[in-house]
Amino acid sequence: MTVVDNRSEPRLRRGGRFRIGPAALALPAALWMIVFFGAPLLLFLVYSFLTAQLYDVSGPLTVAAYRDAVTTDVNLTLAVNSLVVGVAVAVSTVAIGLPIAYWLRFAAGRFEAFVLFLITATFFASYLVRIYAWRSILGENGLLNSGLERLGILDQPLGFILYSRFAVTVALVHIFLPYVVLVLYAGFRPISPALVEAAQDLGANSLTRWRKVILPLVAAPAATSAVLVFVLSASDYVTPQFLGGTDGAMLGVRIQTALTGSGNWPLGAALSFLMLATFAACYALTLVLLRVLRLNRIRFAS
Amino acid sequence: MSYDSGFRPFDRREFVKRGMALLTIGSTPALLAACGGSSDSGSAAAPSSSAAAPKATGTIEYLSWEGYDIPDPMKAWKKANDVTVKPTYIGNHDDIQAKIKAGGGNYDLITYYQGYKPLYTELDILTKLDIEKIPNIAGLFPVFKEPDKRNLWIDEDGSWTGVPWTWGSIGITWDDAKLPGGVSSWDDLLDPKLKGKVGVINDPLGAFTLTCHILGKDPAALPKAEYSEIEDYLTKMVGQAKSVAPSFGDMTNQLVAGDIVACYQGWAYMNSLAAGAGNKTVKTLTPEQGAFSFCDLYAIPSTSDNVDTVHAWINEALEPVMNARVAEYLVAAVTVESSAAELNAATKALYPYDDLKLGDSTGARLAKLFERAPFYGMPPSASDEFITFSEMSENWEKIKQSA
Repeated sequence: MTVVDNRSEPRLRRGGRFRIGPAALALPAALWMIVFFGAPLLLFLVYSFLTAQLYDVSGPLTVAAYRDAVTTDVNLTLAVNSLVVGVAVAVSTVAIGLPIAYWLRFAAGRFEAFVLFLITATFFASYLVRIYAWRSILGENGLLNSGLERLGILDQPLGFILYSRFAVTVALVHIFLPYVVLVLYAGFRPISPALVEAAQDLGANSLTRWRKVILPLVAAPAATSAVLVFVLSASDYVTPQFLGGTDGAMLGVRIQTALTGSGNWPLGAALSFLMLATFAACYALTLVLLRVLRLNRIRFAS
Repeated sequence: MSYDSGFRPFDRREFVKRGMALLTIGSTPALLAACGGSSDSGSAAAPSSSAAAPKATGTIEYLSWEGYDIPDPMKAWKKANDVTVKPTYIGNHDDIQAKIKAGGGNYDLITYYQGYKPLYTELDILTKLDIEKIPNIAGLFPVFKEPDKRNLWIDEDGSWTGVPWTWGSIGITWDDAKLPGGVSSWDDLLDPKLKGKVGVINDPLGAFTLTCHILGKDPAALPKAEYSEIEDYLTKMVGQAKSVAPSFGDMTNQLVAGDIVACYQGWAYMNSLAAGAGNKTVKTLTPEQGAFSFCDLYAIPSTSDNVDTVHAWINEALEPVMNARVAEYLVAAVTVESSAAELNAATKALYPYDDLKLGDSTGARLAKLFERAPFYGMPPSASDEFITFSEMSENWEKIKQSA
């Protein structure tokens, strides 16, 4: 393993008559983000501090929306639901995705390209189709209950599987697993099999090889994909509506309702920014942990 | 009321659009003012028989339920007039006011449930129609074109802000194969035997209106002190449900899948949806306890910049055969008098058209229907005395979580 400090990465070399600097290359994307993301976000932030009218806002500036957002029991319940589902999905997808990505990199051999294609192909199926597929699997008359009944394991179908936090978690794990596998596969890709073989030659058993060699090398991509999946899962507002039932609702649905159903734009904006702040804190915490554990500087020599 | 037109419950495109609506909701309301002109040419008199629809051309930006743009029946008219309809489909009635107030587009044509009239007036969404340009209004059943407190679309000065084109009544929808004979009252749905087997839809206004009717209250003027009765009843009802379905289409899917056996706030259209999915044992009935009726109206929002074409479009949509075909598809009622003769027997038998011809609600069957299932208004947007729209909506979130 070669450890290279970030700071030693080569700079772009100057050359050529029509050289375009890095800043110029980034300019279109930056402008796009400023106009279509930054500016609306800023406006939305202002809305969160304004007074709610029905489908409108007015002065004066106030923190009433934030106060309502954090003191209403419903919001707190939904926030907890969102965090629990987000963490469960993030942990599950990384735990399932790691061995898959490892197998793809080091053991799949000639099947590697084909399996990667299959993983990518799951994106071709509509998000909603996949949600409905889980309904037909987890429902009272679904594949799971029917199968268990036919095997004589159940006398009557389990009615609590669908329309629950569990159902939301299962569906989201299924939906986001391909993203995680691809990110982790990209993380494994630069690792030379020689590193693992060297560890083996030095007497490390499989558990030690994973703990001492593999996991430190993929810690950063694993953490990144976990944060990505956590953010996407915790903020999802479609899956909970179709699979969540009365106890599986999440904060994303509440934000949607505040903005469209209740016409309370400041509350919807405040809830959104509180969620954004939570996500930013999680991301920052992840970076700090990687830094403290000295896992953020590992790079691979080509 | 919120209901799904049901061609598809939700599709990916719809979610993308709704996501975009959330993004664009950050736009300043001032944008709304910049969104084109509007028709303000209200007319207090019924159109004369010699009146004609204006010439149609260009694009109509449509914002409402999928199916309410009646694409197939209107195909020939659109081709003949070189008109293109650019649809934006909604998943919930509240999407209409949310999108328009967010300044998300230059919408030309919307539909609204009659209970939303006061809210849409307050939000300055509706324009007064020039009914001289909609001569087919003359063909409406008299009961829909006479000034009456029930007909919220006709203002006191006689001007119109919407044209009724379909209506119907809410009922209990059940799967007769799973629950033979169904239930005889809304209260029966609270039977512990049906725990986890009742379908509830995520429609705060519909749930609130229905519960008010069941408990003998007026949803448009419910004293705040009496709201706890509504909340208690709804909490019990939601407690009977496993989930709160996002649309009528989704609730039908639950029914067809056998996850639920009966629905609070069902609709005869669900029979049609279920039959399309292969289940022909789904039935709907408005119990003796009653429910509420809904009337859906075509309207021109203040964002429209193609007013003449939309008037012509609405006029064409009120052609008798078209009105009948749409009613058959929606398992709903026609508003055009001569459309009744065009209906198939099953759809015609649903509503008392003979009484409608009397021109008022004095016909025995119609009077009984409107007594059992009246047209209601919705809660006020602001009031110290009565439950407001916002309070109703916010409390629905609490009910869903506390059940």
